[in-house]
Amino acid sequence: MTFLDIRNVSKHFGSVAAVSNVSLEIARGEFVTFLGPSGSGKSTTLYMIAGFFEPSAGDIRIDGAGILGLPSNKRNIGMVFQRYTLFPHLTVAENVAFPLRVRRRPQAEVARKVEEMLALVRLDRFADRMPAQLSGGQQQRVALARALAYDPPLLLMDEPLSALDKKLREEIQAEIRRIHRETGVTILYVTHDQEEALSLSDRVALFNHGRIEQVGKGRELYEQPSTRFVAGFVGHSNFLDCTVAARNDHRADVVFPDGSRLPGTPVHRGAHAGAAAGLMIRPDRVRIGARGAAATSAGVDAVLSDATFIGDTFHFVATTAWGAPVSIRVPASAPMPHQHAVGDRVRLSWDPGQARLFDN
Amino acid sequence: MLLDFARLGSWRLLLGLIAALVGAFLLLPIALIVALSFGSSQWLQFPPPGWTLRWYEELFADPEWLGSFLTSFQIAVVVTVLSVGIGAMASFGLTRGEFRGRELLRALFLTPMILPVVVLAVALYAFFLRLHLNGTFIGFVLAHLVIALPFSIIAISNALERFDRDIETAAIVCGASPLEAKIRITLPGIRLGLMSAAIFSFLASWDEVVIAIFMASPDLQTLPVRIFGTLRQDLSPVIAAISTVLIALTAGLMALAALLRKDARS
Repeated sequence: MTFLDIRNVSKHFGSVAAVSNVSLEIARGEFVTFLGPSGSGKSTTLYMIAGFFEPSAGDIRIDGAGILGLPSNKRNIGMVFQRYTLFPHLTVAENVAFPLRVRRRPQAEVARKVEEMLALVRLDRFADRMPAQLSGGQQQRVALARALAYDPPLLLMDEPLSALDKKLREEIQAEIRRIHRETGVTILYVTHDQEEALSLSDRVALFNHGRIEQVGKGRELYEQPSTRFVAGFVGHSNFLDCTVAARNDHRADVVFPDGSRLPGTPVHRGAHAGAAAGLMIRPDRVRIGARGAAATSAGVDAVLSDATFIGDTFHFVATTAWGAPVSIRVPASAPMPHQHAVGDRVRLSWDPGQARLFDN
Repeated sequence: MLLDFARLGSWRLLLGLIAALVGAFLLLPIALIVALSFGSSQWLQFPPPGWTLRWYEELFADPEWLGSFLTSFQIAVVVTVLSVGIGAMASFGLTRGEFRGRELLRALFLTPMILPVVVLAVALYAFFLRLHLNGTFIGFVLAHLVIALPFSIIAISNALERFDRDIETAAIVCGASPLEAKIRITLPGIRLGLMSAAIFSFLASWDEVVIAIFMASPDLQTLPVRIFGTLRQDLSPVIAAISTVLIALTAGLMALAALLRKDARS
């Protein structure tokens, strides 16, 4: 059952298309992240839902009712901003009470709700503090309590953690996940941090140039990227230049610049015979072996050019015969038949099904 | 720092001396007038032969001085209220609005600060002559509003630019109407700017003399005008006393403004 329905929404600023024909259906209680580089249209889409911009075209519905005619203050949506937006002259408790006060709720209800919300974000003891006396993380938790105080069915979060340091960010991410579980509120979360997107959300919508490139669970985006942009943005990846030699239904044979041929790489779309393409393989899916061993899987010959130990993984860089670098990650715990050293001539191999071919 | 005070060595002495001389140059006339107001000589003799509060007694016993004091105060209060109100609305337009000619309009609002006051006074006098406003309370208020408004607009615009607009937006998303958000959130958020706008507007009217001379009538005179008029007739130490009262009030308000600025920084 669709709760939030974004239909063919576009937004133009003058001649610039900030958002082009974005459609997305979100179920009640879902946690969806808009991920993408800056200027990709993710925030603009969020602002249209919040009512800060009117779309140039398209429709946005909540529970089947159009919201585009309503001003922001009548949409009954919660929002946490990127910058700290607590009301500086009000105490923490009065900040949380503000949305209830403008709704003219009775004092007893306001007091009860403020207490409940501050308990939810674990800041009950800070009720009488002023915002300036709180750390950045605490301020954003109060902002979250304020945004949830009036039980909005939809909560928008616009890069709420980008001003915080990494450790604090992870801490508050866990808080946000817990609050999502406990309240069941539908959350739309904007971030440019892919780790944040993957760890928080049920589904990720990856934005690029004002369009959604792909929507899916984090794992789907990682394992079955549908475009080269998705493959490059989510997780680490190697792209090897090649030419498509032959193409059948969903697989293609490719030829590398040194003439070596590789059969059976999956193709999502494009990659017609004769076209220049990029073969994508994740660094953690590449195996390093000795040359000349029975070639049961796909692979290329290369020379190890760099090896780094970074705690839980080894990070290798190998260079192919035609000079392309390939990055490889091997868990430190993995059994390694050889002690590889820089300068070793090796065979890099992978399961053909785990590589993907994209048009250049 | 290129010129670090701590590393200036013996130059520090010279610097201190120059600073003391400049300070004395600026403050001595004021100190002199304050001293004379307590002096017993009725010819403003310095150093005074003795000390007395006589001139203050005369001052507070004179209904004309008290009347002028009250007139000045009433005009300044009304000017302050109007200046802050109009200044706040103008500032919202100038900092938030996006329209053609905005910078031109801002410059226009600030011209009374640069224009020679006497030119402004003559122009207002000629204009008010047609409207029969010269010598009226309303005429005084309108004329002083012209010179007070730039102070308000500068103070409030600065405060509004420093105030993160997302805070107001957050209040609107919380359910407040745009007007309610401005009244309940933005105005308290820029209250220091509003207060310094009030102080400077009050002072702009309170110690203004050039325009006031043109506006004044025999029965409606502000304090600076009466001081000026009295000075031309006789040189009574009462003038020193009323000047001291003026100085004290102005200094008090300036100290308040400085405190507000300090408060805003911390």
